[in-house]
Amino acid sequence: MTVAHAAVPLLEARALSFYRQDEPVFAPLDFQLHAGELALVEGDNGSGKTTLLRMLAGLLHVTVGELCWRGAPLRRDACTSEILFLGHQLGLKADLSPRENLRIATGLHGSRESVTAAGVLAQIGLRGYEDEPVRRLSAGQRKRAALARLLLLPGTLWLLDEPYANLDRRGIALVNQLLEAHTARDGAALVTSHGAMGFHGGEPRHIRMHA
Amino acid sequence: MSRPHLSDACAAVLRRDLLLAWRRRSDIAMPVLYALIVTMLFPFALGPEEGLLQRIASGVILVTMLLAMLLALDAMFASDIEDGSLEQLMLAPQPLALMLGMKIIAHWLTTALPLIVITPLLAAMLHLPAAVIPVLLLALLLVTPLISLFGAVLIALTAGTHRSGMLLALMLLPLCVPALIFAAGAVAAAQQGLPWLAPISWLAAILVLAVVLAPLACAAALRIALDS
Repeated sequence: MTVAHAAVPLLEARALSFYRQDEPVFAPLDFQLHAGELALVEGDNGSGKTTLLRMLAGLLHVTVGELCWRGAPLRRDACTSEILFLGHQLGLKADLSPRENLRIATGLHGSRESVTAAGVLAQIGLRGYEDEPVRRLSAGQRKRAALARLLLLPGTLWLLDEPYANLDRRGIALVNQLLEAHTARDGAALVTSHGAMGFHGGEPRHIRMHA
Repeated sequence: MSRPHLSDACAAVLRRDLLLAWRRRSDIAMPVLYALIVTMLFPFALGPEEGLLQRIASGVILVTMLLAMLLALDAMFASDIEDGSLEQLMLAPQPLALMLGMKIIAHWLTTALPLIVITPLLAAMLHLPAAVIPVLLLALLLVTPLISLFGAVLIALTAGTHRSGMLLALMLLPLCVPALIFAAGAVAAAQQGLPWLAPISWLAAILVLAVVLAPLACAAALRIALDS
């Protein structure tokens, strides 16, 4: 871990803030995220957690402060293949099945070596639902179908907005497993969550947000 | 880890939109039925006088096509914005303009092409001479992609505003006037036995320009729309 910390951080924010109609959405933030680290973004409702994640994903422009990716200013086209974002809107087409949804994602992003859509869907707990239209799945199952993307697509940094929402206890354990495996692979993740989470892969970094 | 080829990504987007359209086949039928019914109303309202119908036929068909396409345009990006698919498309390591171009092609294939297929039937209902129909089809093949491209840019610009449907109609219809004039001019020239190639060439020139510029404008507008 010490070696990784000495290296250039994967993601670094310096006095990062976001203004909406001249009002700051959150107070200036400073943090670093290294490979193999997990960061929990904490804050009350409306404290700007989702805004921060959308900013890190490159959906929102950085206007105040600085955001660096591997030591260089973050540019959307330079790092899109390394950042995976899972927001409140899951990005699933309701008329297509989980398998078809995954096929689109791999068409756009490519896929990790030695994983298949069928294997990933079984691992995420959707065996038997691979070809069911997403609109017929429960909210928790939809969440799982979206999480399957994380397993299938290549990506170094995961930005997960409320990944535990709608999931049952086994689903929450599953997300923790995914995060542990990802950080063990030298991936990094930023997770927003209200709920407590039992993460066993070392002490996560905490990013506290204030409106 | 394998980064997908650009052509694979294009194929994935195109196939997705065509598959979605196929799953909602009844939506494809709506503009077609609308065009059929509107065109059928004209002989009822104006009387079955062959000369009159012949004279207005090309204009009626062109305007009907324009309005029928307007019905379906609204849906081009709406569901993608709603379910977050557009965000995922933006975050993919692929050029957004090209991906949106694929979406526009898919939209044209599923809304405009069925309308063009029934055009000979509409033309027959209005007694348009059979010799003119190929020119009308050629004009439509150039005008309908233009409407899709202009429409896509305007939808991208109005994305996120309320009642964007009405706004879209108000902005799109004036933009389509030049295209409409050229198309109607070509068909009218053909009807009178005059050379009709010049207006068709103009349409083709506008289309080439729009094919290059519209997806770029679309991508920029959508990025701004989601950046708030």
